[in-house]
This record gives sequence, structure tokens and C-alpha cells, in this order.
Amino acid sequence: MAVSFIFLNSKAMKAYFCLLAGWLVPGLGHILQKKIWRGAVFFVSILALTAIGLSMGGRVYPFQTENPLTILAFFADLGNLVVYALARTLAFGQGSLERVTFEFGTAYIAGAGLLNYLIAIDAYDIAKGKKR
Amino acid sequence: MIFQSHLLSMTVYAFFVSVVLSLIRREDPKSRLKYGLSLFLIMVVGALAFGWFMYLFAR
Repeated sequence: MAVSFIFLNSKAMKAYFCLLAGWLVPGLGHILQKKIWRGAVFFVSILALTAIGLSMGGRVYPFQTENPLTILAFFADLGNLVVYALARTLAFGQGSLERVTFEFGTAYIAGAGLLNYLIAIDAYDIAKGKKR
Repeated sequence: MIFQSHLLSMTVYAFFVSVVLSLIRREDPKSRLKYGLSLFLIMVVGALAFGWFMYLFAR
């Protein structure tokens, strides 16, 4: 196992750590396991999707119950945890409804979050030894 | 404002999704390329075909 942290002595703990790292920063779970190239591609792809989505005026949805469908968007956006936290604290990603690119921008941001869930789970599977 | 064109937006989106999914779902480089290219074409050509199909029902 490439991840060699003193406090992570069991395989299961390492796998959970890679899952969490991958969720926090796209591709970090792979980079920690010496899958540098793959992790870098994941990082660039997710970052590009998010940056394009934000520049198109897409919205990072907060948790709100007034419109139940936006709860799904919230969970999708939460996949990109750092971007979600930054968007909430620095107040960007509010969405520009008047722009024609608003819908596509929102889809880009939600897509990036959903893909990052898959990437983090992939890092978990690699650490568990289920995948190469 | 970037990507005023929905076609360009869709194509770029399909590209990134194909790259990520091909790296996750396939192990060796050759099958990754094949899978990624198939996904990309299915998304782009499928959306175009469905768009033209909906045009049949345009008012």
C-alpha cells in the first residue's frame, strides 16, 4: 500500500481516508496512492467543469426545502466539497438567472459534484484492493 | 460570458464526463480510449439525434 501514514495502520482506515481525501480535493485520493497521472486528470477535469460552470453563471444550491427538487441539486453540489464550502463562505456561485448560460452552468457544477463522488469511491476501491 | 452556444457547452461537458468515466470504468489504455470515445459519441450524437427527433413535433 502506497499510503503510509502512521495513524492509518489498517487497510479499511486507509480506504476511508482516501475516500475522504478524494471527496475534499478531486483526485487527491488517487494521488495519495501514487496514481499521480490519474489523480491529476481527475483534478483538472473537475476543476475545469466547476470553473466553466461558475463562469457561465451557474448556481451552487444551498439546502432549502421550499423547492424540493433543489435538494437533489444540493446533494450533487456537495460532491465537490471544497467548492461548496467556499461558495457558501465567500458567497460566489449565487447563479445569474438572467443569463442564457445559467442552466448549463448549473448542470456543469452539479455534474462535477456527481463525478467527484464516483472519483472518491474509485479511490476507496483502489485502497481496498478491489481495483488497480 | 462564455459558451453562448449550447452545442459547444454540451460537447465540452461530454468530453470531460467521458474522460473521467473512462478512467474510472476501464483498466487498460486501449479499452479506456475505446470506452471514452464511445461515451463521447453516444452523448453528442445521441443529443443531436434526439434534438432533430423533437423537431418533428415543433409547433
